[in-house]
Amino acid sequence: MSERTLLPVATAAQTWSAVRALLRPRRGLAVLAIAVLTAGTAIGLVTVRLLGHIVDLVTEGRPADAITAPVVALVLVAIGQAVASGFGLTLVARLGEGMLAELRERFVDRVLALPLDQVEEAGTGDLTSRVTNDVTAIATAVRSALPELARSVLTIALTLVGLVVLDWRFLLAALIAVPIQLHTVRWYSGRALPLYARQRVSVGSMQQQLQETVGGSGTVRALRLQERHHGLVRGRSLDAVDWTMRGVRVLTQFYARLNLAEFVGLAAVLVTGFLLVRDGSATIGTATVAALYFHGLFVPINTALGLVDDAQAAGASLVRLVGVTSMPAPPEQNAQISERATIEVEKVEHAYQPDQPVLRGVSLEVAAGERVALVGASGAGKTTLAGLIAGVRTPDGGTIRLGGTPIDELDVRRTVVILSQEVHVFAGPLADDLRLARPDATDDQLSVALTRVGAADWVAALPDGLGTVVGHGGHRLTVTQAQQLALARLVLIDPPIAVLDEATAEAGSAGARLLEAAVEEALAGRTGIVVAHRLAQAVTADRVVLLDAGRILETGTHAELAARPDGHYAKLWKAWADHRPGC
Amino acid sequence: MLRRVITGQKRLVATSTILSAAHQGGEALVPILIGVIIDEAVGGGTLVDLIIWIAVLGAAFLVLSTSFQYGTRTGELAVERAAHALRLELTTRILHPRGSAGPGRLPGALVNVATGDAQRVGMVALAVPLGLAALGGVVIGAVALLRMSVPLGLLVLIGAPMLLLAAHRLGRPLQRRSESEQEHAAQAAGVAADLVAGLRVLKGIGAERPAARRYRRVSRDSLTATQRAATAKSWHDSTLLGLTGVFLAVVALVGGRLAATQQITVGELVAAVGLAQFLLGPLALVAWANGELAQARASAGRITAVLSEPPGLPAGDQDLSLPVRGHVRLTGIAADGLTGLDLDIAPGELLAIVTPDQSVATTLTELFGRTRDPVTGTVELDGRPLSTLDPQAVRAAVLVAEHDADLFEGTLLDNVTLDRAAGDVVRQALVASTVDEVARTGPIGERGRALSGGQRQRVALARSLAAGPPVLVLHDPTTAVDAVTEQRIATGIRDLRHGRTTVLVTTSPSLLSVADRVVFLASGTVRAAGTHAELVRDDEEYQSVVLS
Repeated sequence: MSERTLLPVATAAQTWSAVRALLRPRRGLAVLAIAVLTAGTAIGLVTVRLLGHIVDLVTEGRPADAITAPVVALVLVAIGQAVASGFGLTLVARLGEGMLAELRERFVDRVLALPLDQVEEAGTGDLTSRVTNDVTAIATAVRSALPELARSVLTIALTLVGLVVLDWRFLLAALIAVPIQLHTVRWYSGRALPLYARQRVSVGSMQQQLQETVGGSGTVRALRLQERHHGLVRGRSLDAVDWTMRGVRVLTQFYARLNLAEFVGLAAVLVTGFLLVRDGSATIGTATVAALYFHGLFVPINTALGLVDDAQAAGASLVRLVGVTSMPAPPEQNAQISERATIEVEKVEHAYQPDQPVLRGVSLEVAAGERVALVGASGAGKTTLAGLIAGVRTPDGGTIRLGGTPIDELDVRRTVVILSQEVHVFAGPLADDLRLARPDATDDQLSVALTRVGAADWVAALPDGLGTVVGHGGHRLTVTQAQQLALARLVLIDPPIAVLDEATAEAGSAGARLLEAAVEEALAGRTGIVVAHRLAQAVTADRVVLLDAGRILETGTHAELAARPDGHYAKLWKAWADHRPGC
Repeated sequence: MLRRVITGQKRLVATSTILSAAHQGGEALVPILIGVIIDEAVGGGTLVDLIIWIAVLGAAFLVLSTSFQYGTRTGELAVERAAHALRLELTTRILHPRGSAGPGRLPGALVNVATGDAQRVGMVALAVPLGLAALGGVVIGAVALLRMSVPLGLLVLIGAPMLLLAAHRLGRPLQRRSESEQEHAAQAAGVAADLVAGLRVLKGIGAERPAARRYRRVSRDSLTATQRAATAKSWHDSTLLGLTGVFLAVVALVGGRLAATQQITVGELVAAVGLAQFLLGPLALVAWANGELAQARASAGRITAVLSEPPGLPAGDQDLSLPVRGHVRLTGIAADGLTGLDLDIAPGELLAIVTPDQSVATTLTELFGRTRDPVTGTVELDGRPLSTLDPQAVRAAVLVAEHDADLFEGTLLDNVTLDRAAGDVVRQALVASTVDEVARTGPIGERGRALSGGQRQRVALARSLAAGPPVLVLHDPTTAVDAVTEQRIATGIRDLRHGRTTVLVTTSPSLLSVADRVVFLASGTVRAAGTHAELVRDDEEYQSVVLS
């Protein structure tokens, strides 16, 4: 449990090139979206000019009816702006959502292709958080921040253009606010980002504490730990409150500083208006338009600057996704093995941590069709050896050949399947779960596989049979049923070599017997490696291999080894069989 | 509930209301002041006029900015404090010794109540002040407008709410669509997380490509849904934009005609247009506060339901006489799966109970720890019916270690000592559970997930042994442990618990063989009793249950 090597995070260059790659096929759409939105915003700015015109008409003392024409224009502008903005935002959504969908698909593709060692080293927690939290963060940015940002930035840019058109000196006045705003943003992003990160951590750890306390309430009651847990919840909750309030403080200071910029800019524009009207280079209407333009900038500027942290959060998530998508893909191998599914393990070494070898020079030959049971105390290296033979891990030293071909040249999955200790039922209809193993299987083939592992009866008894939704959020299967499903997947794939790692360990005795029969069926006709936790599985194997501290100590049939005086296996067998005289 | 939240934080809420109202007032003043400056200074005033009015504008900004800062902070503080108080109240209720908040509630749902719902109810403490302040802003704007011109004021005051009403109407189908969009998005995220969770299994069977194809399908469905929803939202927003533009045009028409006929000044026309735009802000805020209140009401309902759930067990008032001898007697017990069970466990006995039926095993452990009372019959400890005792006192005397007991975040030793067991007791417990082989220091992760299943089980066992209760009930403590280790654990339990009542509910031969006596339950009552060896010899059904 030392320091974990997390999955990589992309560099800025990698991220940009990934974004460009996503954008490239959508170039036309992007250009059109920007053009339409720009047009819409430009039309919108005419509104204020028309209002200024009305002011001028009034100051010039024109009759009331003169107002009608600019008002009609105002209505037309409103309609034009609405249409352009609706169309433009639709295009932006299509662009952003399309890119997001492609990114998340690439991410999942890449994750599925990652070598298992790497995933385990990083912990699945990191991956899960990237595929859920980070994707959500980017989606939020794409869905709400992106259109708002696009609109705000365009409004700001075009308003500034509008000010120049009125008189370039209005623009100069307005720009007085910019240094204050820039300074505020720098001040804010320096403080806010670490603070928000810390806040998320504290809220997360409060939720985690609640999950532990509420989820473990039975244990808390049994051990009378109420006070301790109440204290833990209180501590974490107060911590979360504290960090949230710090975040609020920085946010309110941020907007207060922006208020200062608003005042300075507005005052400057009004003073400029006063001076220009006095020397006759602008009308009162023009001064009004300038003031209203600037007042109209308050909201978009606050919006755009307020989105800074959304954008940064999305950026932080993006580098985490691109970090994975730009990892080099492992080379694909296509070699298939010959008919004879032998296994040759030669002087294999493996360690998870440099100075703690798990396997020390293990050699083993398994004949085609032979069934070998791996036994030994926990920590002996059984699971590691099983994983190496199945090709889900790569050995540090030595070679492994399947059917005579080195394992790294094989399309491993067509050759060998491993069922690990871990059972997972994939969420969705049961038939979909099985079709992960063999996508083109017919319902009949599925039924045949289920019958062979003894699962046909309970599957038929499910509310919707093969169509029943199982897994997370669906019908809950027992551990035994889940393991039968795993065996059914094996039957469907029908590989020449199968590796079973303690597949019956946690099912309880009644379930274990059922499963043993299913294992027999599933292994029939294959070369099999079984990591035997229950020694009953060793009894039925052709050969037993006993591992101890990373070495093979004994190998032979069950009868041979059990009869060996002072043998390791004999001791193990005695402990197992002593209380089971019937066995 | 909502009223309680407000009164609980009344000083903060009141302060926040006043300050937020000042902020709204300041925001309303800005367009008015722009109009005044146009009138008084730009349209022919002196430099002094200009300076004076700019100073007034500055004062308005100072007020709005300061009041915004402190109003928001006090409001947020009230929200956080209220949510914190609710979380603690819910925690207390959920951990109540006399039973959890209803059997039908899943832990996940309860956590949602304690986090999401508590936060939403807390939001009332911000929604109320902001809503009230926004109403204040509307009133200020209204007064200013009506003072300029009654018809113009009425036009804005009637038009603006109607505009928002239209927005609300237009928004309703949109909300439905966005819900279905969220559902689709959640589904895509769910499938991805599910595939990652099952990654080892997928890689083991080489199903990476079919899995990727499946995800792509879900992702594309989600994309279609989100794009449809985004399109709807874009047109909804734009329609509102258009309507607002038309509304402003009408205000300009009426205001312009009034100004042209000299009923109002040019500055007032400018202010009126500015105010018409400004008023949409506070009015939207009122609508937001209203929406928050509606959500908070729903959340408050869920919280109240949990808090008001009566405890599952009646209280007991009697005390146990100390020291506890550990004589446990069950007489005529009828409960789920049990039909008139009689069982006498002598003080200091190591008794094993075997039942093929897991639900009977669970019923029994629940009865021992008084997390439920039997329908008929009594469970007695040292001659006192458990149902007359305080559950907390029962659990101090009888510790029931369920097979699925949870570990908690922290180090392994933290989990075993629980800040109360003495050093040598802990050491003995660790040795007896063979935990000495796994790393003792260092964090064990959330719920002990950094440990393997077998390690978790042994740590939980060590915790129970270290607690050293007068009566210890262990339910299937070694299902994930290998045979040799299980044997050592069985001996360890026997030695460590020597002289103290211990009940093993199990079918494991290693554990059964160390018991003084084994009781075999079938069809709800005792079928046979004796030592493990005797039962194996004499009872075929027993054999088939415990041997494999």
